[in-house]
Amino acid sequence: MEFTVKSYRFNPEIDEKPYYKEYVLNDFPGMTVLNALMKVKAEIDGTLSFRRSCRSAICGSCAMKINGITKLACKTQVSAEIEKFGVIKVDPLGNMPIIRDLIVDQEVFFDKIKEIKPYLLGKTDHIDDDFKALKEGEKIKQPVYYKTEFQNLTGNNDTPNCILCECCYSECGGVVANSKYLGPAALAKLYRYSEDPRDNDKNGSRLVNGSKSAGMFDCVHCQACEEFCPKGISPVKVIVRMHEKAIKNSITFSKGAKHIIGIARSIQETGRLDEIKVAVDSVGISGILNDLPVAIGAGLKGKMPPLRLKLIKDMEDIRVAFKDLNLEEKHD
Amino acid sequence: MLKHDVIIVGAGLAGLRACVELRKRGVDAVIVSKVYPTRSHSGAAQGGVNAAFDENDSWESHFFDTVKGSDYIGDQDAIEILTSEAPGNILELQKMGVVFNRNDKGGIAQRPFGGQSFPRSCYYADAVGHMMLHGLFDNVLKYNTKILYEYFVTSLVVDNGKISGVVAYDIREGRFHGIAAKSVLFATGGYGQVYSSNTNALINTGDGMSVAIRADVPLMDMEFVQFHPTTLKSTGILVTEGARGEGAYLLNSLGVRFMSKYAPKAMELAPRDVVARAEQTEINEGRGIDGAILLDVRHLGKEKIMEKLPQIMQLSIDFEGVNPIYEPIPIRPGVHYSMGGIKTDNNGRTTVEGFYSAGESACVSVHGANRLGGNSLLDTIVFGRRAGIDMAEYIKNVDFGKFDESAVRRDEEIFENIKKSAGKERHGLLKAELQEDMRKNVGVFREESLMKKAIEKIEELKERAKNIGVDDKSHLFNTDIVEAFEFKNILLIAEIIARGAIMRQESRGAHYRNDFPERDDDKWLKHTIAKLNASGGIDFDFSPVTITKFKPQPRTY
Repeated sequence: MEFTVKSYRFNPEIDEKPYYKEYVLNDFPGMTVLNALMKVKAEIDGTLSFRRSCRSAICGSCAMKINGITKLACKTQVSAEIEKFGVIKVDPLGNMPIIRDLIVDQEVFFDKIKEIKPYLLGKTDHIDDDFKALKEGEKIKQPVYYKTEFQNLTGNNDTPNCILCECCYSECGGVVANSKYLGPAALAKLYRYSEDPRDNDKNGSRLVNGSKSAGMFDCVHCQACEEFCPKGISPVKVIVRMHEKAIKNSITFSKGAKHIIGIARSIQETGRLDEIKVAVDSVGISGILNDLPVAIGAGLKGKMPPLRLKLIKDMEDIRVAFKDLNLEEKHD
Repeated sequence: MLKHDVIIVGAGLAGLRACVELRKRGVDAVIVSKVYPTRSHSGAAQGGVNAAFDENDSWESHFFDTVKGSDYIGDQDAIEILTSEAPGNILELQKMGVVFNRNDKGGIAQRPFGGQSFPRSCYYADAVGHMMLHGLFDNVLKYNTKILYEYFVTSLVVDNGKISGVVAYDIREGRFHGIAAKSVLFATGGYGQVYSSNTNALINTGDGMSVAIRADVPLMDMEFVQFHPTTLKSTGILVTEGARGEGAYLLNSLGVRFMSKYAPKAMELAPRDVVARAEQTEINEGRGIDGAILLDVRHLGKEKIMEKLPQIMQLSIDFEGVNPIYEPIPIRPGVHYSMGGIKTDNNGRTTVEGFYSAGESACVSVHGANRLGGNSLLDTIVFGRRAGIDMAEYIKNVDFGKFDESAVRRDEEIFENIKKSAGKERHGLLKAELQEDMRKNVGVFREESLMKKAIEKIEELKERAKNIGVDDKSHLFNTDIVEAFEFKNILLIAEIIARGAIMRQESRGAHYRNDFPERDDDKWLKHTIAKLNASGGIDFDFSPVTITKFKPQPRTY
């Protein structure tokens, strides 16, 4: 089968602006998009530039947009793409500056990974460790950890399987909204270490740091990270789990945590969402004053939320539900 | 010019492991890698890392299995270190944050692997390389290590037998740099891309070995190339030995578990050289299916497959269109691992003072003529650690050597000349020709007549390589020029493998000669040492094998 690869091209050293270039190829059974790009490079145009390494979906080098959808080129079949789209259109990842062609600048992404302290906290680095070479007949005694202690770290789709390919980051709505946002991969890594039984995080510093501005409460819950992860991991799910964990541990200084608590309180008290009260709970009076122009604009357009809410009819059910949740004392 | 006490070239497991030792001692060590560290090929290791933990197991048994697996050409002092330090090293990794699957007693779970007399491969599902790579990398971040990634090392700079640094090409900026150092470690991995149908990453082009031998550092035992028995038929992607460890069968076209003929006791869990030859024999004798053999895991059941082998399930679906829960996987032998490499001592030291190597790029030798599954990850962490500690000591008492900056200009010129060349040869096509020829003529079954054809081809390609031109003349992230240089590296490695294989007139481990089918301890119980001579040809020499506890015996499974 003859097919066309249409690639985004831009080499700022030479080109004034980006353009697309088309290459016509013949496929072979099982041909992947990475195979196609490599064929272009080897046989037709050596200037086409992209990253690649393992070609088996474990190194995370070849993430790119294929027909508009962020994927690993090595694990995407040409035939399936042609069937759906009639062409292989490739573009660089989003949310990162483009260096050249399909190659993006990943520095910020990796800086954010570094920022979450991706290692066990506590005293683990003494040089005179108890490392031991065994003598004849000697055995080693190993520390005991039960399966259950690692239960959130050993499933097929658990966060340690993340390959840092940046697919999630490329599609993340939170990063679009705030370029400083840590993003799904870094937060998934934060979760991975916060769930590790060996982590000696005495004062909950991980969740405290993760709660800071541009941290886990800046997730916009768009679910893109889950949708685009080539390893079946759901960063958004663990981000939500961390929200819960933070609030349960009284780490509630962040706007995001206050917002969640405010919503819960409003529903608990009235069965309804009292938007004004939630806003006060989240950002305080001064925050409200900052947002006053927006509120006035909304009010003028008839979008003003009611100042006082009526209780819903089934308040008793709500109270029972909240009693079961047992949130009350945790809030304060 | 950049200057650091230690340069670590390559950021796979061996490099990162050494780096942790250096950094925790406060040494100014920099990582130089042609890819970002987590892209390194160590991450593709699937099945396991060996260490004797069980009360019914012993490191001495692991020691013997490895000596026997090496077909008695592994150095026993080194293998003793490898196996006696194995459990301690695994626990060190665990302390650093690496997660291993657990058994019911709360210890590290272990699975059987080929050529091992006890289930002693520790694992994290079927992605243990990934787990270890990311775990170690996280520790390197912890020590705030400087990482020059997407830097491609083109030369060693040596002054009077002592290392003074490296020349590296900054791929992103398109600029050459000299980097001075008191000590340099090459943890640059293998050369799988010398062959077509390999399990290796595209980056595995034998760069470190080539750069080392050009700097007069000898390579050892390069003719021993491991063929992994189970790689996906269409792509050569690895299917872990852990599948057979968990109980998978190998079937021929008649549906017969043919290993009963070749290794009646060990069956599918015979060492890789034995299984690869058995498969190739079945295929050659007409009992294959489309040039492949079947790996059957169906009887393990969906639950076990999903729990223990999730990655290979997904790889089979994505790359072979086969769901192993319902269908056997078509597989064939493919090039996987380099037993040979830069000759080192038990601390990673080479013949050049201050220059070290560890991991697949090194040859200590712990793998001899055939590496056992689960021993390569172990090699990286045991000898990566030892090299790191030794380097930290070494640099205390030395100064920076004289750095001859003309080396930088020389490499710059090589690149510029390739760019300027009007030559019409495309390195991508030459590489494909070389890879296919090596597969056909220096493969699982070797004989002089075929290997001489390979040499002819290599000589032809060396001539044609003089006319390589590149399309990309720019500076910014020019991967075309990097690939052209990588081709020169694999071409050199191919020649060393082929010439060494012709010379070794016996069959030992992975090196099987149809024309010399027996092991010949009288003549060939010795290491092959390769060096470049003044005219660019390859000279061979030999060095003795260290035998301490186990006298060579016939090797059956």
